[in-house]
Amino acid sequence: MSAVTTTHAPAHAETQHGLPYAQQLRANRLGLWLFCFSELFLFGALLASRFVLWGNTRPDLSQVMGLVATSVLLLSSFFMYRAEMGAAHGDRSKFLSGALLAAALGTLFFIMVVVLEWNVFGLEGNLFGVELFGHLTPADGVYGGIFFAMTGMHALHVLTGVALILIIWWNGRRGRYTPESHWGVEATAIYWHFVDVVWVFFYPALYLMGHLVQ
Amino acid sequence: MDIHERKSAAYRLGLITLLVLAVLTAVEYFVSIYTGSLILLLIIALIKAAIIVNNFMHITRLWREESH
Repeated sequence: MSAVTTTHAPAHAETQHGLPYAQQLRANRLGLWLFCFSELFLFGALLASRFVLWGNTRPDLSQVMGLVATSVLLLSSFFMYRAEMGAAHGDRSKFLSGALLAAALGTLFFIMVVVLEWNVFGLEGNLFGVELFGHLTPADGVYGGIFFAMTGMHALHVLTGVALILIIWWNGRRGRYTPESHWGVEATAIYWHFVDVVWVFFYPALYLMGHLVQ
Repeated sequence: MDIHERKSAAYRLGLITLLVLAVLTAVEYFVSIYTGSLILLLIIALIKAAIIVNNFMHITRLWREESH
């Protein structure tokens, strides 16, 4: 573990745009939050479509799979938080291990959605009585359409997040971040948690709400 | 509060947040099985989102003069 630095942000230092670092950081944060806000319209529209087209019903999806995938994403968010705190406190080993675990769990979530739930390889099988592979297809009317649109758009964001986490992990290995300057890590963490927040609403909307339709 | 205490407090907050989110996820799972209440599920989702936005995403940094 590297030494913890006790110095604080170089608020007076200038960035490449000629702005004081603290001012640039505030602008960066505002920009990223505005980006997240704009994304809410996309995911909000998908969520609204689900309630308009499905009403108070839902398709037959594996409850266990949904719960496990949700837990995996929550755990991934936790490790991303640890990675960010590691970077903020000069704890390099916690930063690197946290980022790597967050990326691994994000990849696992992606695999669970695409390989198991979408069943892109058309497989069959179960584990301890739990059906591993989904049977819904995009051609299954509004149920298939909405399910694939919502999980597909979310999975795309998961994939982007995993790529960003791997980039900051690689940069971190090369010593690019310090407790005084780690905007890249903070931005990636905010994006990753945003992806988690979206799933917080998608999970009950897809798996839990409404009466089961066979 | 010195830097070591701040560091421990930050890691502790992460762990507590994870535990609360895990409990709320379990609660919504059982709410769906036993009551199926849409309103209750929506309220739980809103609480979970608020916790993540506040504790993990640090939204309060937006209106605080806080640098790295």
